[in-house]
Amino acid sequence: MGDSAYSFSLTTFSRTGKLLQIEYALNAVANGRTSLGICAADGVVIATDKKLSSTLVDTDQVCKVEKITKGSGFVYSGVGPDYRVLVRKARKSSQAYYRQYMEDKPVSQLVKTTAGVMQEYTQSGGVRPFGVSLLVAGVDGDGTPRLYQVDPSGAYFGWKATAIGKNYVNAKNFLEKRYQDDMELEDAIHTALLTLREGFEGEMTNKNIEVGVVSKSDGEFRLLSPEQIQDYLDEAN
Amino acid sequence: MSRDSNYDHHISIFSPQGRLYQMEYAFKAASSSSGLTGVAIRGSDSCVVVTQKKVPDRLMDPKSVTHVYSITTKIGVLVTGMFADCRAQIQRARYEAQDFRFKYGYDIPVHVLAKRIADIAQVYTQSASMRPLATVCLIIGVDDERGPQVFKVDCAGHYLPFFAAASGAKEQEAVNFLEKKVDDMKEYSFDQTVRAAIMCLGTVLGSDFRGTEIEVATVQGKNGTFTVMTEDDIEAHLNAIADDADA
Repeated sequence: MGDSAYSFSLTTFSRTGKLLQIEYALNAVANGRTSLGICAADGVVIATDKKLSSTLVDTDQVCKVEKITKGSGFVYSGVGPDYRVLVRKARKSSQAYYRQYMEDKPVSQLVKTTAGVMQEYTQSGGVRPFGVSLLVAGVDGDGTPRLYQVDPSGAYFGWKATAIGKNYVNAKNFLEKRYQDDMELEDAIHTALLTLREGFEGEMTNKNIEVGVVSKSDGEFRLLSPEQIQDYLDEAN
Repeated sequence: MSRDSNYDHHISIFSPQGRLYQMEYAFKAASSSSGLTGVAIRGSDSCVVVTQKKVPDRLMDPKSVTHVYSITTKIGVLVTGMFADCRAQIQRARYEAQDFRFKYGYDIPVHVLAKRIADIAQVYTQSASMRPLATVCLIIGVDDERGPQVFKVDCAGHYLPFFAAASGAKEQEAVNFLEKKVDDMKEYSFDQTVRAAIMCLGTVLGSDFRGTEIEVATVQGKNGTFTVMTEDDIEAHLNAIADDADA
């Protein structure tokens, strides 16, 4: 990273004091497929629209929601190839943490490191910012469920519920109306699916969405299988 | 500021709309520069890539004109786009496959190789000092656990597993043809897979071929190796297609 040929940053301040490359990166995120997350009292759910360009794609093998440590997972909106870089770096840093401390890296630490990487790419020479926003779901060491959103600038915040990508404004409004502080994980999963369906182009099935869930009870991040998603979709109908 | 709005056409930085122009131009170069169309299909136990064989000059040695390369004995690639970029990417893919074999002691699975090539391609879209490679790869192989695989890796570093895929000049027409048949493809035998791929190319290009005018390469079965089909075998398949059409 940071090529010697370009020892100057490509992300520079405009006359009005804005970092335009970061703003443009956010536009790239807003063009991406919708993702959302909800933090319930006893767990976190993240979900994304996995609709792909053609029926020729083998969607079973495409994975947008990725597990990073035992208790945390990522999902994104924006430029897919950039996301893979962040997933790899996150997994590597988690392994390095475990090697040193013999404990799983806490979500808050994971978010800090990943956000730090994203910020580096806005300031280093010869590279552009990542064109993705991440939603990080996890259960911290003390058992608290947490949902974070990390933006291309490297800024991150904890959220009760949030949405990114296409249609995120409507999705966020929908979530604001339905969110309750004492929500349970099952309700959260339902609400997540309803929100996703609001802005969905065409029919939403268990094959063109992905859902990841981490529950306080066992602290393990897992992807819902297509059968499990189908059960939730049936209940919603 | 005005420098910014033009700079985004030169190197890999975002445009105001959030697009990467260099990547889009690389796509254009990849699809139009060679003028070829490639098709890959995954059957029940084998996979096939097909493309045209256009020898630009009669003095050229036809054996040296090819867009189909083996990466390992069991994985092969069809690359379309700027020829020099294709060669560079193949060399790197071969190195990565051998490095994996050396480090881990077993052959690289198709999806791991595809991901690696895609990740390398992604770096060029994020670093200012290197331009993206103007190539699109269709990678085929038969995986021990997952069966036949077709992956498409493009200039942007996207990689996706496909039931059937196309690349190059007539990509959209080929995709339209393949989408109609996708549900049947999962049951195709080796011969059916080969013939479907050849028919797709024929329909899209609107012409009939002789055995010397197309390249066909296959991987058949879990223990199959990546094999470039001989002209005689291609002729046999073409005759079978013609017979079926007449019948």
